This record gives sequence, C-alpha cells and structure tokens, in this order.
Amino acid sequence: MISRVDPEFKQELHKYGLREWNECFHCGNCTAICPLTKDDNLFPRRGIRLAQMGLKKQLVSSVDPWLCYYCGECTETCPRNANPGELMMVLRRYLTSCYDWTGISRLFYTRKIWELAAIILIALGVIISFLVFLPPSPDLFSKPQAFINEQGGVMINSLANGISASRFVQLIEYGDLLMAILVAGFLISNIFHMFYRVILSDRNLKFPFYSYFTEFWSLIYNFVTQARFSKCDNRTYWIGHLLVMTGYTIMFTLIVAFLKEFQIEEIKPWYHWQRLLGYYSTFGILFFLIYTFIGRIRKTDLKMQFSHPSDWMFIVLLFFTAVTGILIHIFRVSGLPAATYFTYLIHLAFLVPMIVIEVPFSKWSHLAYRPFAVYFDRLRRAGQNRQSIVELTPAI
Amino acid sequence: MEEIRIGVYICWCGTNIAKNVDVERVAAEAGKLQGVVVARDYKYMCSDPGQDLMVKDIQEMNLNRIVVAACSPRIHEITFRKALEKAGLNPYLFQMANIREQVSWVHDDREKATQKAIDLVTGAVKRVRWQEALNKRSVKVNPATLVIGGGIAGLTAAREIARTGRIVFLVEKEKSLGGMMKKINRTFPNLDEASKYLNPIIEEVSSHPHIQVYLNSQLVKLSGYVGNFIGTVNHKETQSELEFGNIIVATGLKPFKPTPLSNYAYKRLPNIITSVEFEEMLSKGYIRLDSRQEPKHVAIIHCVGSRNPDFLPYCSRTCCQTALKFANQIKDLLPKAHVYQIYADMRSMSKGCEEMYSKTAKRGVMFLMYDQKGKLPYIREAGKNEKTRLVIEMKELLSGEQVEVTADLVILMVGMEAQETSKQLSQVLGISRCSNNFYIEKHPKLDPVATTTDGVFIVGSCQAPKEISDSASQAKAAAARVLAMINKDWVEVEVITSSVREEICCGCQICVHVCPYGAIEFLKEKKVSCVNEVICKGCGTCASACPTGAIGSRHFTEKQILAQIEGVMLQLLEV
Repeated sequence: MISRVDPEFKQELHKYGLREWNECFHCGNCTAICPLTKDDNLFPRRGIRLAQMGLKKQLVSSVDPWLCYYCGECTETCPRNANPGELMMVLRRYLTSCYDWTGISRLFYTRKIWELAAIILIALGVIISFLVFLPPSPDLFSKPQAFINEQGGVMINSLANGISASRFVQLIEYGDLLMAILVAGFLISNIFHMFYRVILSDRNLKFPFYSYFTEFWSLIYNFVTQARFSKCDNRTYWIGHLLVMTGYTIMFTLIVAFLKEFQIEEIKPWYHWQRLLGYYSTFGILFFLIYTFIGRIRKTDLKMQFSHPSDWMFIVLLFFTAVTGILIHIFRVSGLPAATYFTYLIHLAFLVPMIVIEVPFSKWSHLAYRPFAVYFDRLRRAGQNRQSIVELTPAI
Repeated sequence: MEEIRIGVYICWCGTNIAKNVDVERVAAEAGKLQGVVVARDYKYMCSDPGQDLMVKDIQEMNLNRIVVAACSPRIHEITFRKALEKAGLNPYLFQMANIREQVSWVHDDREKATQKAIDLVTGAVKRVRWQEALNKRSVKVNPATLVIGGGIAGLTAAREIARTGRIVFLVEKEKSLGGMMKKINRTFPNLDEASKYLNPIIEEVSSHPHIQVYLNSQLVKLSGYVGNFIGTVNHKETQSELEFGNIIVATGLKPFKPTPLSNYAYKRLPNIITSVEFEEMLSKGYIRLDSRQEPKHVAIIHCVGSRNPDFLPYCSRTCCQTALKFANQIKDLLPKAHVYQIYADMRSMSKGCEEMYSKTAKRGVMFLMYDQKGKLPYIREAGKNEKTRLVIEMKELLSGEQVEVTADLVILMVGMEAQETSKQLSQVLGISRCSNNFYIEKHPKLDPVATTTDGVFIVGSCQAPKEISDSASQAKAAAARVLAMINKDWVEVEVITSSVREEICCGCQICVHVCPYGAIEFLKEKKVSCVNEVICKGCGTCASACPTGAIGSRHFTEKQILAQIEGVMLQLLEV
C-alpha cells in the first residue's frame, strides 16, 4: 500500500508543541552540521520531510528522533528559521504517544488538563491509602521523645499507629512493588510496540538472528553512558544529564530494591555509604533542576527555548520530590517526628505520580526509548549491511 | 598610379604574442617585402601611444597602406580604422593579420609560430596593395515605426514611441489588444490585478492620435531596409502598404498544450485544467469544480512541458512564481483548502519572489518534489469510496518515498512555446530563430533587443519566455533604440557590399536565391541581377555562388584574396 500524503498531520503535531516548520525547503544544512547523523539516517532533514508530508507510518518506524540529543546546532544553522531541532523534540513527544498502545500518553500530551488530573488523582490515592494503612501515631505530638533513637534522630519506621517498624517497611515495599510492576508493565509493552513498528513491521528488513545478541551490548552501554549525547559539541548537557541520571537511578534502586537496608531506624554517621550515596543523588538532581529551571526561564539556550507543558510537569514534580526528600532528612536528623511523618507522606504523593505518569507515558520514557532506538538502529544496519553484500555479489 | 607605401606594425600584446612569436624577426622580415616602407614592433598597438606611433608614421612617411599584425580583427579592426581616419587615410586601406588567436595562443613551437606569423603578415602585405578606398554611406530614417504584437511588450513600445510624437503602426493578429496579460487575473509577487496595469495602457494606445492600430491583421510582406521599410499588412480581405523606418517585434508566446503528456490525463479526466484556464476561472471570481462544488484539495503540478527534452527543453521562467501566486489566491478564496505544489525545482527568481515563496510556505502549502529525469507524476481516477475524485501518484524526491496525493482539482503549470507564426514571420523579417523557435537577439549579453537585421528589434516573450516586468523593460529599451535612430535622422549603412558587373551577368538568378538578406533583385527588363546595397551585409554568399563571376564583394575582390593567398604561400612557392 502506497502512503498518502496528509496535509492535516501538522494540526496533530501542533498539539505536541510544533510551531512553524513548513518554512523548511530542504537545503540539508541541518543534516550537514549535525554531529550525530550518519550517511544513511539523514536526520533532522528526513524527519522534517516525513512530517511535512504527513507520512505517519514512516515516521513511527523511524528511530531518528531518539538518536538526536538536541544540541541546537541545526536550528542555529537553518537559513529559513525552520527550527529543525525543535521539530525533533516534537517528534519525540509524538513517538512516545505512538508507542503507548493504551492511548493514555496521547491524551496527556494533547490535553494537558488530563495529565494534571491524573497526577492529582494518584497523589490523592497515595495519601488516602497511606493514611488508611499507615495512620499517624497519636503520640507524634504528645510524646515526640518516644520516636527518637540513640543518635537523637527520628525512627522513621515507627511513626504509624500500632504498626511495627518491620511491618511499616514491608507495606511500603508492597507499594513499591505494585508501582514497579505497573510501570514496568506499561513501559515494556510500549517498548515491544516500538520494536514492532521499527523492526517487525518492515517486511523488507532481514538480519541474522544472532544480531539480537551481538548488538545487545549497545543497549546496555548507551543506557548507562548516553555516549551519543557526549558527541554533541556542548558537553555540559551530557555531564548534567549524567549527574541527574545516575543520581536518580541510585535513589530509585535504593528505595525500590534495598528499602530494608536504606530506610532504617538508626541514623548513620555522615560518611556512611548510605548517606554519601544519598548526598550524591541529591546534588545530581538539584544541579540538573537548577540548570534546567534557569535555562527554561531565560530561554537563551536554544534547546530550552520552547517548553511544552510536559517539560515543565516533569521538572516541577522532580523538584517537589527532591525538596520533600531533603526535608525528610533534615527533620529526621533534627528529631522532629511529626514533621517527618507528614513530609514523608507528601514526598510519596509527589514521587508516585511522577514515576507512574512520567515513566511510561511521558517525557521520562526516553530512558528506555533512547537506548532501544540505538539498539534497533544497529539491528537495521545489520540488515542493510547484509543486503548490500548480497547486491554486490555478482550473479554468475 | 601612386606609389604604394606600406607601414607594417607587429604587436606584442604584452607577452600574449611576444611569448610565442619572435616579433622582432617578424618585423624585420616584413620590412624586406616589396612596398614596405616601415615595419615596427610595439608592446601594445591598440594603446594610445601605439596608435599615435602609426598616425605619426602615416603623416611623416607618407604611408598609404597599413598592416597591423595583432589580435583578431573582431576586437580591434575598428580601433585601427579610426586611427587611419585620424591620420587622413581612408580606413579601408588597412589590413589586419591575426597573430594572437591564430598563432601565439594556439602554438607552442616558437620557431614555427614565428614562421606562421611571417606568412600571415606577408599575406596581409600582399593583399593591402590591392585594397581600395571605400566611402561610408548613410540613408535618411523614416520616423514611423511598425510594432508587431499588441501584448504588454508591443503596447509598451508603441506607447513610449508615440508619446514623443512619432507615428506607430501597431499590428495585432487577434481581435483585441492585451495579449497574454489580458488573460492573467493577478500578477506576482504582490497579487495586484493585472487589468489595473494593462487597461490604462490599452486605452492610451487605442486612443492615441499617433498610433494606428490594425486588429485581426498580420504583416505578410516586407521590403526595404533599415530606415526605409515598406510592409504589407493583411487585415481580413483588405491589404495596406505601410512605410516605416524601424520594426519592433513583440509577438509573444503560446501556452503549451498538455495533451501529449498522457500521464497528466488532461481532457481525459475531469477537473484537470491548465494554468491559463485557472487564470480565467480566477478572473470570474471563483474556484470550483465541474460539479460547481468548491475543491478541498488542489494540486498544482509544475514544469508541464517545460524542461522536458521531448517537449520544451527550456525553463519557462514564470510558472514557479505563478504557481506560488495561485497557492496564495486559493488560500485567500478557500482558506480551508489544502494546496499541494508538485514541483521539479523551485525557481522563484525575480524581485520579491523568493519572499513570496517563503510566505507561501508559511501558509501551510505542501511542497512535494518530483524527479523530472525519472518517472513523472501520474494522475488516475480515485476509487469510488475515496474522498476525492483524483489521485496523483509520484515518487517524492526529498523523502525518497513513493506517495499518493489526493486532489479534487489539478492545475497544470504549462510552459511557454514560441508562436506558430514565428517561422513565417522570421522569413518575412529576415531574422533567425533558435532551436526552440524563439527569435535570436544580436548579442545575448550586450545587445539583447536588436537582431542581426538592422532596424528590427525583438522584445518580450517572442525572444524567450519572460515575465511582464522583463517584457516592459525590453519594450522600453527597444523604443529607446528606435527613438535614438529617428533622432539621428540618418543611418550609416554597410560599405562592404556586393555589386554586379552587368555585362557579365547571365541572369541565372542563383544569387537571388542564395542571398540570406533578400538584398538581390532581378531586373526583368535588363535581365540582370541588382544588389540593394543598403540591405546587403557583404557576406559574399552570392559571389561564391555566381557561375560567371559577375557578382563580387567590395573589399573582398578576387584580386585581393588571391594576392593574400599568394603571400601566405610565398615560403612554399620559393622552396
């Protein structure tokens, strides 16, 4: 079936933050200046063309937008002010919504109020279930000394009424598990959908089965390092991004997989690995947040010039999660049990919606799509190399 | 007979000649030839000191023949002839030997090159002995002008000339004035109404006391020469004889008929129209389909016929801008309609047109590029349940994708062709046509509105496809040329012409048929040919064709040519 051009597609992309892009007349300067594009995936130009023509099928099967890290050089070079870098950003939002088979992502991206409503709903759910399963002890205000340990800090797991410390951690762990299953379930099924659109639906693509394994290292490597990002001329972004990524991953791992070891009654000295890791994560996340807040407000930096509501939603949630996390730590160390309990509650009310909404359905999903895009791109190349070998062999 | 005293001057042309030719030896050898009084070499003969040197020699040594060995006569023959005149010598007692283009620039062997230069100079010296003094002649210019074609170019030219009080005959083959521009609704890039500009000109020309307009008329016969033409104009059953001094040809263009390009299904499927037909529709103030509904998808296909080696190999220059103009007009009239520009290369040149391109892109028009060297877009009927009646299949070049475009209305941007009458008229006027049947200008860069026939000018799209502003500029340029000639009152005519020795002429009339300028007439009473020396360009075709040797060219007499050959061959003859 031959594709039809669709002039109405641009209305669709407008919802994902598209401004003006029809100005592009395909001189190709953007692709020429791009430090990341290669001979055979000519982004951003090809992506702009497919978007201009409304060729949705080709767009969804292309991983190009994920291979771009928005250094903004294309936009600076563009002679027609068509802003190719921003278009790649818009396409990443669009692709995120395409990979999500539930349609939730699309709803959140295109109708902002729904995302906000979902966040508030989940936050309320978290607050209610917390108050039901882990109600505050009445002694929090009358006998605050009862919750202080030998080091003078708050025993964080003993703040709920009639619930033992081990039970407290266990219940939180159940919650963690539920959240992890939900998020992983959506995200993995979305990645499979991406895999289907990029690899499986292309009938002409043939590559040896072992490529799935031989190319797998690229997935892990790029997930951990974002090595491609470092190829952009300005490395500050990469370092900032690496800080927030590692900080966030460490925190996430500690609270989901090692909650028993991390969230303990005792307060360890400041040089203990637990606290050091916590401080590193806090620093990484705060550094990134301050950098992005300033960038998005001042708009001097090309990549932060145009902010879609989803961009703000992500950093605002992360900001409140980080701030409440820091407050818990301060209140604990200062021996204020009531403040610790309620800040913990608010912390969860920000943290849970952030992960449940942002990771599978919104901006944060790029943590999976970007490394998988590199992986799929390598698989496609493995296929192309094979094809070209076949073509070069003369038929005798 | 006076004594022949020849001066020979060998130019170095800086190092251009001196590098490969031993100019001093050439001068020395030339000095030995019979009749040569002085032979010199000089760094730049064309410079003022070089010319002064020659003038001084002529006056002091009483020279009466001059040979300059330098560059091509095309470059400096006139310069040196003027120097001769300055020295009081007839300018035709002069001969040039080309030792730059024909020697130093094309040979490496200095010895052989020098020998060749000596041979050429010897030829020139031998020839110049037989050259005769010729006198320049001039004729009076008839101040009336004939303008052929009543489109924007012809109208503009006629108006410019008539405004100075001179008579203009305007011949138009159609029944009304205005030409192609009358069919245009709005002009690019500002979308002004064409009639706003055209109507006042038509009005002025129609009512001007100095302009005689001949509608439904054609020039069928022309005789005479620059300054004094006599033309026969046919209009319906009657004929008129007109006398005029100059002619401005502004016969314009014809839109290409897209029927032979079967892939565009013109006249085969409904709602596929040409750009000219769309202009007519726009002039009526609406855009609609055969069914009287408004189209929701309008596709504009560029380069229909143009830049296609099988039809019109050239660019028609105005279609891209017109197509962009259409897109804006469609968006103005039907804001919800989708417009597709299916183009081969966007060539939106001219002032303000790149800006129009950019503005059009911003209005949400979709641009799709096809490969003109590959398979052209193909229009087919859509399936029954489709939202549009037509579908265009094409390979989109910038994405590399095979795509389909849905369309209710397709506009074919047809190219510009030369008029069918261009061949007949070129024969009447004695002007030439290029391989695409457009008239050829005298010089593509430096004399773009004149032709090789003096007194005949070409303006507007009859010379090549052109937009309105370019046609108007050319019309005004030609009008200025004509007025300058009328103002001068007389015109210098060629002296190097043919002449017939009536006593030898056998009356075979071969010369009459071979003459490319129509300059030879057969005198029935005398039964001999007669050359009209005003029309004759001195090309020599008649002289070479004449079986009896009765006709010959001045300045190229048999004696002169044979003497030159003898000179060039002298070395061989001596061996």
